Amino acid sequence: MKAKKTGKWVFFAVFAIILALTLTAFLGVDNYYGDTRNVYLKGANDIRWGIDIRGGVEAVFTPDIKADKITADDMSAAKSIIETRLVGNNITDYEVFVENEKHQIIVRFPWSSDQTDYDPAAEVAKLGETAVLSFCQGTAKSTVLVEGKYVENASAQYDAAQGGWYIALKFDTTGTSKFAEATRNNVGSTISIWMDDAMLSAPTVNSVIANGEAVITGQFTAEEANELANQINAGSLPFGLTVDDSKMQIVSPTLGSDALMVMVIAAACAFVVICLLMIIRYCLLGAVAAIALLGQVGGMIACISGYFPGTESFTLTIPGIAGIILSIGVGVDANIIAAERIREEFSKGKTIDGAIASGYKNSLSAIIDGNMTIVIVSLILMGSFGAENNILTTILSPLMNLFGTTITGSIYSFGYTLLVGTIFNLIIGVFASRLMVKSISRLKVFRKPALYGGKKNV
Amino acid sequence: MFNKEINFNKAFKPVLIGFAVFMAIGIIFSIIFGVNLSIDFKGGTRISYSYSGDIKLSDVDALTEKTISEKVDVTESAGLTSGSKKLVITLAGNKALSNELQQKLDDALVKAYPDNNIDFSESNSVDGSVAGGFFARAMAAVILTGVLVLLYVGIRFRKIGGVSAALTAFVALFLDIFVAFFTAVIFRLQVDMTFLAVILTILGYSLNDTIVVYDRIRENKGIYPDATTAELVNTSLNIVKIRTILTTITTFLAVVMIIVVAEVFGLTSLRSFAIPMAVGLISGCISSLFISAPLWVIWKNNSDKKVKSGSKKARSK
Repeated sequence: MKAKKTGKWVFFAVFAIILALTLTAFLGVDNYYGDTRNVYLKGANDIRWGIDIRGGVEAVFTPDIKADKITADDMSAAKSIIETRLVGNNITDYEVFVENEKHQIIVRFPWSSDQTDYDPAAEVAKLGETAVLSFCQGTAKSTVLVEGKYVENASAQYDAAQGGWYIALKFDTTGTSKFAEATRNNVGSTISIWMDDAMLSAPTVNSVIANGEAVITGQFTAEEANELANQINAGSLPFGLTVDDSKMQIVSPTLGSDALMVMVIAAACAFVVICLLMIIRYCLLGAVAAIALLGQVGGMIACISGYFPGTESFTLTIPGIAGIILSIGVGVDANIIAAERIREEFSKGKTIDGAIASGYKNSLSAIIDGNMTIVIVSLILMGSFGAENNILTTILSPLMNLFGTTITGSIYSFGYTLLVGTIFNLIIGVFASRLMVKSISRLKVFRKPALYGGKKNV
Repeated sequence: MFNKEINFNKAFKPVLIGFAVFMAIGIIFSIIFGVNLSIDFKGGTRISYSYSGDIKLSDVDALTEKTISEKVDVTESAGLTSGSKKLVITLAGNKALSNELQQKLDDALVKAYPDNNIDFSESNSVDGSVAGGFFARAMAAVILTGVLVLLYVGIRFRKIGGVSAALTAFVALFLDIFVAFFTAVIFRLQVDMTFLAVILTILGYSLNDTIVVYDRIRENKGIYPDATTAELVNTSLNIVKIRTILTTITTFLAVVMIIVVAEVFGLTSLRSFAIPMAVGLISGCISSLFISAPLWVIWKNNSDKKVKSGSKKARSK
């Protein structure tokens, strides 16, 4: 077999990349300048754990209107808007309970007292904002021209030409005609855009806008623009919600205070046991599988902690951990399928190179088909239960909204970890493993079929 | 055990009976004890007490369950600004605690923790946090996923009649869901959002297992074009079984680790996650080997017979 061979150095290169990814994903990269911590890459410590694992904050909201005007329907509408806002901010773990007698909405979301970069009181206040978007004549909020409820979709976008972030709005059909009329009547004068009682911007109308598209410009940071877009997409509350700061509570983990430690110890033990099992049965192939597994875990941690620039951290809950377990199981499976195949090829009397090459080739279809079905499952779960700001939900919403507009953070979080895990499995468990095995098999010390499951015990 | 040849087609019936027996036990348990739905699904009551000092929550949990004979969750909370501590006891179900039981619970807690200044602070009855629309949406998501998987498998496995293969795979999946559900019922575990994630995990696992089996059948169909469906399936299953068993063992071990470590630390709350997961993984392994592909053989043989009697001609292979 003189076809192009994988270089001997490839193994070490791939191993080094995996090791670097995993180490930085776990530890993060930061430094201290005085007392300020500068985070360059977020590590496992920056993961936001769910209330089930690390506890959270509980706030009790009450509507700011008279009790006799509050209906049960409005209360449940308010509840689902709060949920949408939470999931929109990647807080996929929360508990929202409605108390219809005392007209209270009890919200719990994850937060831990050692989390200093996050102000729960501010977050709670934001959750209770009515968030009514309005387009008004002039720079006063007196004459509302178009209401924000006609906005079909809002998204944060970057203006490459001028720099800075803005929010792009798309009106629905009614909104489009209303906005066209408003701009027609105000060419040359100002239309101001308001979120509740804060003016976001006050542009001058240059011409009639008939395509139903508008932008909100301002001195927005990426975060502010995203937050605002989420808020607009989530919709406005039927009433303002007030919260008594003195009654805000820090709650203990719902699974018990040791939950995080238990999961970490269990994960470490399981990792060791799985690696041992793989190495005992598959020798060298098992060792490579263990490296791949390490990389897969590191990659998933990276995707959850917001390690990659431009990604936000994600709340990790028990359902999310279930997603991790499933994708790791499937990842180990890819290595087992390939290793069993290589063993089979040896029993047909193939050489080391031949067995490895055809073993990987023949195992690929099973792995791809298995992974693809799981990708389908995770995409549908994310699309069906996510907030409206992700592309999947947008694609599925015409269909899924026929069945009510509930969103469920825990299922979304399961879908997310599963999807991310499966992608890393395809990259590392399939592609990187194969590279490593092909490369390492060229080293003289490792040119013994027994190391790959050949010869004995077929 | 790996090298022994198993006749999977013959084992189909006994295994199916095994599943049926398990379900029958599950149904009996659910009739006698009911299904333990969490506050997420059916709402419930939250009772809070203020206290001072330190209290072990798992003890309060045990004491409360003994006093009012209901399953409860106990968490503690502290004021963000005031720092005053509270015990929050949550019980699922729409019946509020009677005054009598409430009094009994107050007394029991005060008696058990005389030094902690336990004082009743409030009782709230809340609606379920899972909206009614959730189930409709969940069903829609399940059906949509089913259709897409059916399409994918139908196309990728058209060589062996992918649609029938996918449909028999779904039968195995249904069995796994029931096994996980009845495991929760038999162990008196709470059915909550976490449990739903467990079900989804098992589905993913079992589906993957089944796909790997069909992949081998597809491949062997090309190698042994003259083999009967039964032979083809049996040969393929015997090759794949090692992989299926090993994969299941690795994940099973990971879940067992969670059970063991959680029990060592006395963290019973992880049971409703880990136990159905462990049992469901085993079920997924068994159903993908003994149910889906052998059932597909029966389906194939039946439809072949129909074709034959329809055309009155033996089809040449």
